[in-house]
Amino acid sequence: MKSPHNPAPIRVLVVDDNAGDVFLLREMVDGAKSRFRVSAEAGSLEEALRILAEREVDVVLLDLQLPDSRGVDTFSGAHTAAPDVPIIVLSESDDEELALQTVQLGAQEYLVKGRVDGHLLQRALRYAVERARAEVQLASERDLLQTLLENIPDRIYFKDRQSRFIRINRALTTLFGLKTAEEAYGKTDADFYGHEHAGEARQDERRVMETGEPLLGKVEFENLADGRKSWSLTTKLPLRDRQGGIIGTCGISREISELKEMEEQLETERNLLRAVIDNLPDLVFLKDVEGHYLLNNIAHVRWLGATHPREVRGRTVFDFFPDHLAAEFHQGDMKVAEARQPLINQEEHMVDARGNHSWRLTSKIPWLDDNGNTVGLVCISRDVTEQKRAEEHLKKANAELAASREELLHAVRNLQQAHGELRDVQLQLIEAEKMKSIGRLAAGVAHEVKNPLAILKMGLEFLSTQKFTDEHTPEILHEMSDALTRADKVIRGLLDFSAPKQLEVKRESLNAIIENALHLVRGEMKNGVEVELDLQSNLPHLKLDAGKISQVFVNLFTNALHAMENGGLLAVRTFTKQLTGVGSNISDSRSESFRVGQHIVIAEIDDTGHGIPEDKLAKIFEPFFTTKPTGRGTGLGLSVVRTIVDLHGATIDIRNLHEAGVRVTLMFQS
Amino acid sequence: MNKKRLLIVDDESGFTRLLKLTLEKTGNYIVREENDGTNAWLAARDFRPDLIFLDIVMPKIDGGDVAQQIRSDPMLENVPIVFLTAIVAQRETRNEIGGFPFLAKPVSLDAITKCLAEHFGE
Repeated sequence: MKSPHNPAPIRVLVVDDNAGDVFLLREMVDGAKSRFRVSAEAGSLEEALRILAEREVDVVLLDLQLPDSRGVDTFSGAHTAAPDVPIIVLSESDDEELALQTVQLGAQEYLVKGRVDGHLLQRALRYAVERARAEVQLASERDLLQTLLENIPDRIYFKDRQSRFIRINRALTTLFGLKTAEEAYGKTDADFYGHEHAGEARQDERRVMETGEPLLGKVEFENLADGRKSWSLTTKLPLRDRQGGIIGTCGISREISELKEMEEQLETERNLLRAVIDNLPDLVFLKDVEGHYLLNNIAHVRWLGATHPREVRGRTVFDFFPDHLAAEFHQGDMKVAEARQPLINQEEHMVDARGNHSWRLTSKIPWLDDNGNTVGLVCISRDVTEQKRAEEHLKKANAELAASREELLHAVRNLQQAHGELRDVQLQLIEAEKMKSIGRLAAGVAHEVKNPLAILKMGLEFLSTQKFTDEHTPEILHEMSDALTRADKVIRGLLDFSAPKQLEVKRESLNAIIENALHLVRGEMKNGVEVELDLQSNLPHLKLDAGKISQVFVNLFTNALHAMENGGLLAVRTFTKQLTGVGSNISDSRSESFRVGQHIVIAEIDDTGHGIPEDKLAKIFEPFFTTKPTGRGTGLGLSVVRTIVDLHGATIDIRNLHEAGVRVTLMFQS
Repeated sequence: MNKKRLLIVDDESGFTRLLKLTLEKTGNYIVREENDGTNAWLAARDFRPDLIFLDIVMPKIDGGDVAQQIRSDPMLENVPIVFLTAIVAQRETRNEIGGFPFLAKPVSLDAITKCLAEHFGE
């Protein structure tokens, strides 16, 4: 009977070949208010199995005595066909042995026919269904767990209090090289691992059991008995019974050899990089944009006055330097970070935390992330104090070298000058020697030539007293006489030039000597030459060799007259003067004979002749130099003049006058 | 009027001969030449000149020494001696050498005539 408001009834399969029993059972199952209903009946095991195969049954009431099966085999057959469907065994006999057997095989209940009433059957059915449902659930969970244990690559174990395996999963079985997990049961780590790991694991497990605290994420190095090695990450937990008592441990362990290897690689690389930066003498460091140090090499750590990088990491320059310095450094760094422009090899003078000064070559590079944002600053700074010092040393040395060179050049110039002066002196000496030789030669020649000249002259004069009838002879004699006079003049000049250079000085009147000399040159005066005398009357008498000074004036007057062949003015002046300064008159090197303030006597001879070619002025005192036509001058006159003037400590200056002619200025010391 | 006796001592025979010729031609002088200086003193003793023209530079003896010999001879000490020489220019020596008057070669007839006139008061 169905009640529309009731949930679907639980379907019962009755398997019995006795119709009476079946009727009875149906009565008890389908009773009022029952949740059960007989949905099928089977008289044989074969029929029962067919029905079960269709899966339209929730619970089975099974009589063991069937036409095609008996006893426990009946149960096994049915249970195997539908292991999930709970089975209640109904038996004719109260066989304890059989009852236990069926229950052990999975029967939910063993009931003896005739002792069952509706109430009992209902309850048995209810329990069977509930238990079966729980079993299914349990089995499902067990399967899940099993799946997990069998498939997870992590190794899972359960151990008893003596650390003997009581359960291990597939992964661990495989690791141990076993075919089945059971082979490990009862054994310990010592059977599979090197004793080192086994001992440590044992200790860990003991601690877990003693404290009840789990061991979480321990990195273990495992060396297997067969020599394999691996790294694992292990968690161990206490294993408790239902009462909470600790009965062992369980654990899960994951192979992390690859990770570990990677980590080690990273570590190695990190160490290499660290070794690189720590072994550099340069300061290397990274800062974030707030100025916190992120990475510092040892050199920089020491420079900051710290001993270990961790004392520096996360701190700023303000932790190591006085505020004003720190602010300066910080601003410099931040400027680079903001500008995002690297600063390469900037030379700067720095003071470290200990107050040591140094010159540094510093590079600061903005540190950008993948998006191009500035996240900090990479800095490297090299101590170049030595180089700087060497450089400055070099500069100084160079300067000194330049100075020495200058001195050397100066010395060389002095030497050159000295050499020049020496050469001048040498030339003068040579000149003097030459003059002496010329003098000796001239004296000898003069004597030897004068005798024959005397004969010629005498002869000519004798002949001129004769009377000649032809008109040419007197003329020829006259020419010869002129030639003789010229020859004599040359010889005289030579003698003057070579005359002994000693003076016989007396106090003499310069004016008288000049007048006498003028008298001597009367013969040379041509028509049209005027003489203008302006001799200072109270001129002091001078210490002079009158004969030699007379010769000076004779020579000078002769030159002046020769320059005025066509007439002119010969002006002679004498006067005294007090030297007030070095003027044009005494620009000559011999002016050192004169001192400012000294009274001097000056004689000036002006002519209005043709003057001296400017390019010849420098040579006029040289012996045998003359501007006169052949026969007119010996080239010795001014040479003699110069010698005599020098002997008197006087000076002579000869220059062309602006208008015309020549001015000769003689200056005597008074 | 007596002709004046002149002794000319000079190693240049050409010169002495010309001078002798020229002076004797005037008719006022008797001239003796002596071309060897070493014979000068003896020649003077022998010739008794009124004036001696004496060369200074001669091969064997210096004119100065000859003058000394003659001056040392009491018989000749008053005979005037005039040097005739080529070694100096007349202007320089102020017309005398060692106290003796002096004429420089080449000498002009005028200068000699003038010199003789001064000595003989003509």
